[in-house]
Amino acid sequence: MALNPWLAIIIWAIIIIVLTGPMLTLPMFWSRMKPDPFRDMPFESGQVPQGEARHRLVMQYYPYLLMFVVFDVVGMFLFAWGISFTRLPLNASAFVILFIVLLGAPLGYALKLALNKENW
Amino acid sequence: MVVFPPTTPAELIALILRVITSHTFITIIIFPGFIHLTLVVIFLTWYERKLLARIQLRIGPLYAGGPGGILQPLADGVKLIFKEVMIPYKASKPLFLGIPLMMVFLSALPFAVIPFGQHWVIANIDVGLVFVFAMTSLFPSMILIFAWASNSKYPFLGGLRSLFQQVAYEIPMWISTLSVVLLAGSLNLVDIVKAQEKMWFIVPAFLSFIVFFIAIMAELERLPFDLPEAEPELVAGWYTEASGAIFMLIFMGLYMKLYLMSSLVTVLFLGGWWGPAFLPQPVWFIIKTLIVATFIIIPRGVYPRIRVDMLIKTGWTRLLIIALANIFLTILLINSGLLAAWGI
Repeated sequence: MALNPWLAIIIWAIIIIVLTGPMLTLPMFWSRMKPDPFRDMPFESGQVPQGEARHRLVMQYYPYLLMFVVFDVVGMFLFAWGISFTRLPLNASAFVILFIVLLGAPLGYALKLALNKENW
Repeated sequence: MVVFPPTTPAELIALILRVITSHTFITIIIFPGFIHLTLVVIFLTWYERKLLARIQLRIGPLYAGGPGGILQPLADGVKLIFKEVMIPYKASKPLFLGIPLMMVFLSALPFAVIPFGQHWVIANIDVGLVFVFAMTSLFPSMILIFAWASNSKYPFLGGLRSLFQQVAYEIPMWISTLSVVLLAGSLNLVDIVKAQEKMWFIVPAFLSFIVFFIAIMAELERLPFDLPEAEPELVAGWYTEASGAIFMLIFMGLYMKLYLMSSLVTVLFLGGWWGPAFLPQPVWFIIKTLIVATFIIIPRGVYPRIRVDMLIKTGWTRLLIIALANIFLTILLINSGLLAAWGI
């Protein structure tokens, strides 16, 4: 195993592209590719599609998304701490634990806001 | 004698032989790599049908090929490859064709870091766990782009639901693995498995196993969490417009993701390749992974689908809080010295 592991990942990525690409490109050669205005309509339960498909929907998901952004970053830091946990003294980890506890308060408030169905 | 660049035919043959017999080539092409993955995907499609048929007292594929319709997946593959690729009008063509390839790519790439045995791993990198999550967390955006590209109403709704669901369950999944990282002290998947030689992490980290398992069910859009493809409401969800080769690629990606997540459960909680020595390491790994995959598939034949607000509420309140609380439990366990007998 003298090969750099990241180089192996790049080779693996190239192999995936080379071997799965033909599954999409080869059928283009032998299958009938003839546009048909009726058959190529978007499926809408057998009706002629009406209106715009890419419309705007009102769903108040942003409290969840804010939590997602926060916890994604927090998770990253917690992992950095988690690797070195066994090598750290416990009082060094106490601050991380305190941080998680403090995080509980805004999390509770965000959940209270997000679960209020009148906001949806 | 291997010479590079080769000048005579004998040297060329020696070089090719050297490349083919090298460990990297074997791992990439044959065992944890491409041939193994393709065979497993073919097997899983057949296995899921047969298992669900048994649960619901149906018969399942029976006639294609030898016993039990074993060639049915091949027949399906041939059918789908020769079918016409229908692209809905006004669809974004490059995205509609490119995203399925990207899905297969994203779900096959993390197998590079999954250790199927002590030496059966393509790339033994130190950030293996983060690499897997980095790849799988790109999946929901791929689904949303595909749904948007097909320019149809049902896929669009399905894609949005999929995005909401996967965003809600990503954080519990991600945080619940932290207790495994605390126990093993490493993000390297090979080291995590090595740390489980005496005791599988399912015992000290049972709560995080439960959270992780529920979260991957939602990530994989398996019942009871298959809202993005709810058949009675959304026809087929975000892949309603997919047909022929595109449909096949999407399903290859989904089944590879199923296998990937099952193997991640095996690596993190079920002791990876460890087992009694009468079977080789990769065999133990594959047996455990297929058992996990079975438990992911079974609810599809048993449970109804849950509501969308229940889904989001469960993900954000119950699972996230259990996952965070579990960190304290793990710290207590480690510091109490109860696990010292197992070298943790």
